[in-house]
Amino acid sequence: MITAKIQGLLFLLFLILLWQVLYILGTGVFKWWKPYALPSPRGVLLSLQKLIQNGTLIHATTCSIRRALSGFFLALLIGSVFGLIISASSFFKRNLKPLFTGIQSLPSICWVPFAILWFGLGEASILFVIVIGSVFSVSLAIENAIQTIPPIYLKAARTMGASRIQLYTSVIIPAALPGFLAGLKQSWSFSWRALMSGEVISAYVGLGYTLMAGRDMADINQVTAVMLVIIAVGMIVDKLVFSNLERHVLKKRGLA
Amino acid sequence: MPLEIKNVSRLFEGSKKETLKNISFTVNDGEFICIAGPSGCGKSTLLNIIAGLDRPTGGKLCLNGTEITGPGADRVVMFQEHALYPWLNVIENVKFGMKLAGLSKNEQEARAERYLKMVRLWDFRNYRIHEISGGMRQRTALARSLCLDSPLLLMDEPFSALDKQTINKLRSDLECIWEETGKTVLFVTHSVEEAVFLADRIVVLSDHPGCVKEIFSVDLPRPRVIDSAEFLAIRHKILSCVEREVEKVAEKEYDYR
Repeated sequence: MITAKIQGLLFLLFLILLWQVLYILGTGVFKWWKPYALPSPRGVLLSLQKLIQNGTLIHATTCSIRRALSGFFLALLIGSVFGLIISASSFFKRNLKPLFTGIQSLPSICWVPFAILWFGLGEASILFVIVIGSVFSVSLAIENAIQTIPPIYLKAARTMGASRIQLYTSVIIPAALPGFLAGLKQSWSFSWRALMSGEVISAYVGLGYTLMAGRDMADINQVTAVMLVIIAVGMIVDKLVFSNLERHVLKKRGLA
Repeated sequence: MPLEIKNVSRLFEGSKKETLKNISFTVNDGEFICIAGPSGCGKSTLLNIIAGLDRPTGGKLCLNGTEITGPGADRVVMFQEHALYPWLNVIENVKFGMKLAGLSKNEQEARAERYLKMVRLWDFRNYRIHEISGGMRQRTALARSLCLDSPLLLMDEPFSALDKQTINKLRSDLECIWEETGKTVLFVTHSVEEAVFLADRIVVLSDHPGCVKEIFSVDLPRPRVIDSAEFLAIRHKILSCVEREVEKVAEKEYDYR
């Protein structure tokens, strides 16, 4: 366990070293790139330090996480309703599910024009982009989780006299939970990505905005620094929240 | 009041042959009936129809004079797989049906204790389903079915996925419990030995279409001894009846090549 962690750390260090070497060779020795077009580990580190010291990074990160979570929970609420509707009705399963699958593949940035037209530049439009970017994924996750419940669970409950509502509360929802949690991980990453689309266009604070600010100042190191933070936050939420939750549920059922 | 099965047929869409054709027999109160026959003859289909999970395409079924139109807690089913819920522990699984029925907490506790002790799993009540063996799982499922106090217990090859020793133990357990509770049991099995060991009467189904071929009464005193001469004689008689059907199926399957 510990050696695996050390291994991972060493691999990361190796990648950073490779990056530094490439930077030195590419910009200094061979002059393939102009120095301002290629970020360097040192430059990114300095950029991070600057962003942390002037408070931008903390503020932007908390702001972005708050937005992403509120959008995600809203999508969870709306998506659950649609997911349940799709799984409960063969009509909607036939007609709405393929539509949702199609819309889900639409990059969330495509919704930005609508967001700005309908909600203006600001929080509401960002929230809209997050919700619309992940709500279909949530619906399909629910539908899929319910679809894969072993039919015998439902049969057994019905022969024990379960009503339709009891079937949902006592069997379908708990039985679908592990599959749903696995699906939610994907929905979270959809939310997080959609947030960036929203923030890049219409925010005055947030990680996406800080990234664009870096672009506007032609500061490739800042752009890279923010990108790394975006990756890190996405990973941390995935590990801390979803993986832990999933592992807990699976362990309780003897599946992990 | 008995379970009456009158001219029940089941035709599956797309296939011309009837899976079940004109099945008629009556199950009396407190009787232990086994349904035997070659695999694929529609034993499980018949059980599902009685359970209300499937509808017949012809004929009707009445329990206590009222027609069966859907599943209900008066006809609990025990399946071949245990069908226990992995998110609940043993006692919570046993209480599951009683919770659905809205029984009081005290009543749930009392019945769960009674039946878990009956299947000798009281000490394992807080175990998770994945922590107990296959035989224990089926015993949990049995306790869960018994708790609902349904007059009719439907069992669909409940022991067939278990090893021989476990099966023998569970058969005797089931017989004791049946005698103790006085329930009516309808038990589907492909094992003639199991049927002769357990049943008052054995309904042998034929294949394609699935009809009642013959109904045998087993009048041996209980508990029955599997290697006694009387047991073997009856077993042989029924086996030859079932085997003719098995051969018919085998021939047909060759013909289809």
